[in-house]
Amino acid sequence: MTVRRAGRWAFIITAVVLVAGLVTAAFAMRNLLSGKSGGAAQIVNASPEVVARGKYLAEAADCAACHTAPNGAPFAGGLPMATGFGTIYATNITPDPDDGIGRWSAEDFWRALHDGVRRDGRQLYPAMPYTSYRGITRADADAIYAYVMQLRPMKVANRKTELNFPFSVRLGMLGWNLLFLHDSLPAASAGSSPAWQRGRYLVNVLGHCGECHTPRGLVGNMELSHALTGFALGRVAAPDITPAGLASRGWTAAALRNFLGSGLARQGSAFSDMHPVIMLSTRNLTAEDLSSVATYLLGDSPPPGAPLPAIPPPEIAAANDAGRISYLALCAGCHGLEGNGVPNTVVAMRGNSTLRLADPRNLIVAMLDGIGAENFPHRQSMQAMPGFSDKLSDGEAAALANYLRAAWGGQKGDVTPAAVRALRR
Amino acid sequence: MSLATRPLTVTVKGRRHGPMDVPEGMMMIDVLHEVLDLTGSRLGCGQGMCHACVVIWDRDDHTSEEVPACITGAAFFDGKRIRTIEGIAERNDKGEIVALSPVQQAFLDQFSFQCGYCTPGFVNAATVLIERLRRAPVPRGQVEATVAAALEKHICRCTGYVRYYQAVRDVILATPGLTRDTA
Repeated sequence: MTVRRAGRWAFIITAVVLVAGLVTAAFAMRNLLSGKSGGAAQIVNASPEVVARGKYLAEAADCAACHTAPNGAPFAGGLPMATGFGTIYATNITPDPDDGIGRWSAEDFWRALHDGVRRDGRQLYPAMPYTSYRGITRADADAIYAYVMQLRPMKVANRKTELNFPFSVRLGMLGWNLLFLHDSLPAASAGSSPAWQRGRYLVNVLGHCGECHTPRGLVGNMELSHALTGFALGRVAAPDITPAGLASRGWTAAALRNFLGSGLARQGSAFSDMHPVIMLSTRNLTAEDLSSVATYLLGDSPPPGAPLPAIPPPEIAAANDAGRISYLALCAGCHGLEGNGVPNTVVAMRGNSTLRLADPRNLIVAMLDGIGAENFPHRQSMQAMPGFSDKLSDGEAAALANYLRAAWGGQKGDVTPAAVRALRR
Repeated sequence: MSLATRPLTVTVKGRRHGPMDVPEGMMMIDVLHEVLDLTGSRLGCGQGMCHACVVIWDRDDHTSEEVPACITGAAFFDGKRIRTIEGIAERNDKGEIVALSPVQQAFLDQFSFQCGYCTPGFVNAATVLIERLRRAPVPRGQVEATVAAALEKHICRCTGYVRYYQAVRDVILATPGLTRDTA
């Protein structure tokens, strides 16, 4: 190839890149950056029935979990979400025209839920789970819109997103969405019944369960080939809620209905990030919807729940004597010699879902950090559990975890002191 | 049917007890009451919430801390040193009480309690706090907050909090070495 020829090729490639760039920019200008600002505050005249339906759907979608900050005004935003890429603050979705979404139309609202695009045309980050909400029907989106638009407007300014470059470039989400935004998420179980279909909508779409329970990839995408198999987004891991995972820990449809409706079941009480999910969202579901959720999570032909582990034979106690001594010293006072807990006060250890998890992470974290006192629906409450990080060495904590897992969880006693050390703060 | 037992050796206020066999899973409050005849520690809620029952655990690193005896098994204390409410006042060689501790005296002087059920827990908590401040004094301006934080877990149902807190604050402010002037 001559120099002259190479020069011509270089010119052609440059020209093509330039034209492609211009076309992309024009496309972006037209479709993405021409979003609206200003405009009149919207006045929504919806029937009380639609508003009530919107309220129910907003609860099922657990909007308040993020859009209401602790001790903050309802739906006025402000909750910080720390991600590996920086901190994102939930926004004000009350109908205040300046600080909230008071100028948004139903169409604008729909685009945010369905496409992850703000009214001004800029991209949302998937901390807002449009990746799940994409499946919301237009009628349901409109009902939620009707509900939030009649909330009391709150003058609470949004906090600026604090993401690191290059994630701070919102346009980058276009490429992310091409790769990771799907019209529907994979089925959690096998089924086709009407209850299963309804459950799929409640779990995959409104409840956006996968946003915590599905593992995330390097750029924060849900790894859908492992949907709902559990992930540690924070200190406490969201456990495996596939049919096999649930059944292996003794969950049945009845237990799931109890748990989601009240936060309490024979398998334990909701703690950490799941507690507000129960209190703000699932407790409000109708009995029929709770049943649908359970049907979908376990499938139309649920696998049999693994039976409650038997009272441990003496050899398990003997093989884990160091752990058993720690149990007698620090745990039995509340959880009981036989691990049965105290009704309405302390959860049982025997058959406890956290002990039956293959991954000991949550058990170790609970032992080290303790669990705060929690209130539940129907005036139930569970008392606080103290943390024992200063009373148990790594070796003692590992031995205790192994005793608990072997005696009452049907799990292997394979927790190492290093695993405990790694979780110390 | 006989209860399974485990051996326990525990040192209470310098006096070694055991090894003795105590029922497996027996809580320390019951060992104190039923085996060692030390009945001053109070069983309140039995759930580790009210802290009336706390004993002082003297750790090997010369720090001390409160441990709720109602939910902590005897097994935890095997080989450990503790103090109970019986060991707070000063005694002579015959075992007779010759002087109350400054905390105990302040609680009496300031009418800190009414029924007195929670008092052993408050005495032990205040004693642990004073021992901590001896190792790590706090600025004088922070004493009230420090007292409130240290005694917060202790429940009193006779409205005694204010006089309890004032008494402990006064003892701390009057005792050299527990506070410092600068922040």
